[in-house]
Amino acid sequence: MAEKRKYARKYCKYCEAKIEYIDYKDAKILRHSLSERYKIMPRRLTGNCKRHQEMVELAIKRARHTAVIPYIIDTRKVVAVPFEQIQQ
Amino acid sequence: MRHYELLVVAKPTLNEEELQAKLSFLSDILEKNGAVIAAKNHIGSRKLAYQINKFERGIYVVYYFTAPTAAIAEVERIIRITEEFIRFMTVKFENQKEIRHWNKQVDKLTKKTPVVEQEPEIPAALAETEETEEA
Repeated sequence: MAEKRKYARKYCKYCEAKIEYIDYKDAKILRHSLSERYKIMPRRLTGNCKRHQEMVELAIKRARHTAVIPYIIDTRKVVAVPFEQIQQ
Repeated sequence: MRHYELLVVAKPTLNEEELQAKLSFLSDILEKNGAVIAAKNHIGSRKLAYQINKFERGIYVVYYFTAPTAAIAEVERIIRITEEFIRFMTVKFENQKEIRHWNKQVDKLTKKTPVVEQEPEIPAALAETEETEEA
């Protein structure tokens, strides 16, 4: 394989941590499944199992609605670490 | 009776008294509609991820309660009318795992009445992922 593997070996990190329920208010847990631009990362890249991916999706959508995490990142107002600013 | 969680985001411009008045108004409505409030989590003022009604900040308050299904529609209707609440979110906890989480949250809030900084346990695996993604 000439192409270098971009991601480390995949496994569901939520299963490993034995998370039963993903709370939408807890942005730190959601962070794993979000890209730099706060898009929901696909399962093939994160390695989440289907069950947890569905839970994460729902939690992210709820978190977006309640302004815990943004819907989009403004490309014109780029900040170095957007996530920390939202935290407080 | 079902298990619910209600999050409301209040306007940041409210002062302490106004906020308490609005929150007691909300809990009154909940109880009038047959809800039993199990716990309340006053998260406080935090920055919003994006502007809502031109506000940069919001006061987050979470209620955990059990209520008959019909109560939710009425409570939501009143929250929509109330101008002081800029966002809300009701979440239903249905299956066993979800209810277990609900109970856990209630226990956490009722035991530690002086709100201690709740650092949610972040497993090492989750914290490390950022590095692996960038690599």
